[in-house]
Amino acid sequence: MTAIIHADGVSKSFGSVDAVRGVTFDVAQFSICGLLGRNGAGKTTLMNLLSGQEFADAGAIRLFGQSPVENASILSRTCFIKESQVYPDGFRGKHVLRAASWVYPEWDHELAEQIIKALKVPVEQRVKKMSRGQRSALGVTLGLASRAPLTIFDEPYAGLDAVARHTFYDFLLRDYTEHPRTVLMSTHLIDEVADLLDHVLLVDEGRLVIDAPADELRGSAITVAGVSADVERFVAGRHVLTRDVLGGLTSATVAGLTSADKVAAVEAGLDVSPVSLQQLIIGRTRGTQQEEVAS
Amino acid sequence: MSVAMDVQPNDTVLPSFVRRVGNVIRLHVANPVPTLVLPWLIFAAVFALNYAIWIAVVSAAGGRDKLDPDAFSTSGAISWIYIFLLVAAAQAMSLTFAFALGLGITRREYFLGTVLYFTGLAAFYAAGVTALAALESATHGWGVEGYFFAPMFVGDMALVQQFAAHFMAALLLFATGLFAGAIYVRWRAVGLYIFFGGLAFALAALILIASLFDGWKSIGTFFTDQSPLAVIAWTVPWSLATAGLASLILRRATPR
Repeated sequence: MTAIIHADGVSKSFGSVDAVRGVTFDVAQFSICGLLGRNGAGKTTLMNLLSGQEFADAGAIRLFGQSPVENASILSRTCFIKESQVYPDGFRGKHVLRAASWVYPEWDHELAEQIIKALKVPVEQRVKKMSRGQRSALGVTLGLASRAPLTIFDEPYAGLDAVARHTFYDFLLRDYTEHPRTVLMSTHLIDEVADLLDHVLLVDEGRLVIDAPADELRGSAITVAGVSADVERFVAGRHVLTRDVLGGLTSATVAGLTSADKVAAVEAGLDVSPVSLQQLIIGRTRGTQQEEVAS
Repeated sequence: MSVAMDVQPNDTVLPSFVRRVGNVIRLHVANPVPTLVLPWLIFAAVFALNYAIWIAVVSAAGGRDKLDPDAFSTSGAISWIYIFLLVAAAQAMSLTFAFALGLGITRREYFLGTVLYFTGLAAFYAAGVTALAALESATHGWGVEGYFFAPMFVGDMALVQQFAAHFMAALLLFATGLFAGAIYVRWRAVGLYIFFGGLAFALAALILIASLFDGWKSIGTFFTDQSPLAVIAWTVPWSLATAGLASLILRRATPR
């Protein structure tokens, strides 16, 4: 597999804030990779670093095997859509898309037209006057129609309603199937995109805490519930993500279970239920926070 | 995966540098109002005001021949356009830099495209002002001996010289605007406060030094011993240095 994104020990701080701390990961070609994490976890900074807009304090970043900083041949194959993108005063939606069509060699006008129609992008309107959702729709149009071999979306759905978000997911999947590329997408709506992702990166307080295929994550954690004593006996020595106690009953989320473990849990008389990606992520980010408080 | 070959850097498909620099120029022109239209509108408004005053003065005096021949040839209003060009240049940068980088344009390409655009603008405004000065001269000062586009010594220069003078002056103001724009893009408003504060101190220090060392006389002869065009030509190295500094500042700037 070819790594389209390669980050090695990347760090960036702003004053006393360590936004990204020693992050190392690879994103393979032709994948839709989710970059998850809480607000302020460092997702946007990491994406700014990847696209050469910020300069890393330490570590190395390679896109398509080369540093992206001031690298025209890499940047013309990379499209970065961020929610905070600044557009020139007086630019209308159509100006933004026209400018993008000059810059991205693979730009697909037809596709842009289709998305504009489906998401009702007000192309004649000044970007400044657009609502958050309309600006997001414009960004989504740009990102998909660029057909850039590497497309980075930072919270592309902000302000979009559920219908518009699903239209975006449909376009993304359909166009991804016809024109495979590499997509890195940060998002809060984990369960909504869970089926879209084939790889998950989770950052928490600047550190990478999960780097795993989505399939593995989906199957790796379960919730066991039952009489507290039985649950405690089962989870002893295992990695417990969350634990809720109510009266004499306990429900615990446990990570890294094999299928034999799951059978054992059922045989121990416990209720076993799968954990959604979102619950798992919440467990993992809440967990690190508790550790830090405890230490 | 065999398709992995597709992503290997391939020199034949590298987008040409020239085209990408050209895209920066197109970005600046995409909304032509602030840099191409607005300065002329301001110019027209200032001229209209001057013209109205001339006509009012002439009618109050009871005829143009009742006034001094060069009563209307000492206007400095033309310098307004230059201040406006400075602001337009700085503003154009603060508006387009983040967007250009968002489209994967490199800082180097952005700087070159912007410098080329501003140089073209300087030529455009110099040509426009010179053409209006020619018209002014042909109409004997718009019928009232009013010299707005070529006041004072400017009217004594040949048109080619006028063009060269305006071009160099516009370059100086654009270079300063480029510099201020680069500072804003990199350090935001704080950078500009420090820059203009420092500039004020530097000017005050120069004035002090000139006064302490009796330098005013030699400063005076610097301006009077040379032709006006030669004096303006001294701005060229300064403009080049300012633009060079701006490129260094921009090299590490990040969009906010």
